[in-house]
Amino acid sequence: MSGELVEDIEELASDAGASAVAVAAHDLMDGRSLELHADRWFHAASTIKVAVLLALYDAIERGELPEDARVHVRNQFTSLADSRYYRVDASRDGNEVVYGYVGRTMRIRDLAHHMIVTSSNLATNVLVELLGPEAIRASLARQGVEGVEFRRGVEDDRAWEAGINNRVTAAGLTELLRQVAEGTAVSESASSEMLEVLLDQRFVSGIPAGLPEGTRVANKTGEISTVVHDAGVVYLPDRDPYVLAVLTEWNEDGDTSRRRKLIADISKLVLERFVERKDG
Amino acid sequence: MADGVRGLKVVDGLELPRPYREALRPGELVRDAAGRTVQLPRYFYEVASWEKALETELSPHFGAFEFLDIDLREAEPLRAFPRYLPCAVVPFAAVLERFRDAVGGPVRIAANGGYRSPSHALSQDTSPHLWGAAADIYRIGGEYLEGADRIRRYAELAQRTVPGVWVRPVGDGVGGAFDHLHLDLGYVTLVPRAKRLKEPE
Repeated sequence: MSGELVEDIEELASDAGASAVAVAAHDLMDGRSLELHADRWFHAASTIKVAVLLALYDAIERGELPEDARVHVRNQFTSLADSRYYRVDASRDGNEVVYGYVGRTMRIRDLAHHMIVTSSNLATNVLVELLGPEAIRASLARQGVEGVEFRRGVEDDRAWEAGINNRVTAAGLTELLRQVAEGTAVSESASSEMLEVLLDQRFVSGIPAGLPEGTRVANKTGEISTVVHDAGVVYLPDRDPYVLAVLTEWNEDGDTSRRRKLIADISKLVLERFVERKDG
Repeated sequence: MADGVRGLKVVDGLELPRPYREALRPGELVRDAAGRTVQLPRYFYEVASWEKALETELSPHFGAFEFLDIDLREAEPLRAFPRYLPCAVVPFAAVLERFRDAVGGPVRIAANGGYRSPSHALSQDTSPHLWGAAADIYRIGGEYLEGADRIRRYAELAQRTVPGVWVRPVGDGVGGAFDHLHLDLGYVTLVPRAKRLKEPE
């Protein structure tokens, strides 16, 4: 069945015009896994924010950051490409609230919430500057997550032009979210708090859109001109959750809604054929 | 020990408890970027609470709270009240008042952009922020200071209208101002006159 399901997913992706697709799923109820190109690297887009969330809670847990700490919100970041400053563009950001705090301070937990729930680029970069890339990589390493590679803050166009990007695999994101769902990411309490943040997600046109109405999903999307991703923990009634990551790559200038619909369609297919084991 | 300003008590930093002395390093000699020896402030206004900071005007349009808005990069003892402001902050507020008159509207000081102690994580160099004699201005009226043109326009205005003020060059590299206008008066220290214990006969 798994082989047929994989073929059907690839057919869906091909019909939608995706140039590449990768899927990884892990059912926490029985430990079964599904993998399709699960170790292929993709540009991470905003899915990398889950790694920043992990590192933030890791720093709090290790006592390196006070949990009620406030941090100065500045829209000034150093490009990894040439060490010159750059700003993130409010018109390309999913969140306006954080821009209202420029020049002032915000609580780090509030920044984390904006970073995940509405994918605030500004909140992300403020936290990345606070934590530092090394600390984020160290947190991933401590968790043994290999398929999530953090290099830099988001919207660093000069780094992008230089080919310096954050990367993820479907297997990597699934592993990271599995640890969050199982309470082993940093600590049980930290995992629980991270899960609550992810469950508040407002972008629900990917994995959640392929599921029965009312299904709780702790997910994080990622979208730039050439990739559309979603990865999350799915909570169906009366069963243990499962983790799913769907990563897609596209030629530029495509129809965004069609791209998200592909992820929703794959989510539905995985629910029916992998989780519920209905025949195709 | 000395007269205060607008209800704030003046304290000798050398007489503060050890955690504060270690963070504030009162009266310590340090070297500036040019290798010159300069002395860190020794006398401070003590601000008992955030409410006190909010209600205390250092000048008609600048409150003590604007110089005390810091984040977790400040040394831990200095993130809780009572907090301390070098006495030069009062004449510097008067300088900012002059700048406010020139721009014709509210001038907003950024977090970490007022007073920073020598132990603040952003205090690697001997910035006049350590003397309470500098401000990073991020907004003037409703205008955020983003982009070289805006910052340069206000920088030129400051240099024309505020005698003795130093303005950090605009730039998008380390050491340049990219999201704020930095103004300072240099390493200004102020030793307030003490109240006489007994009037002369």
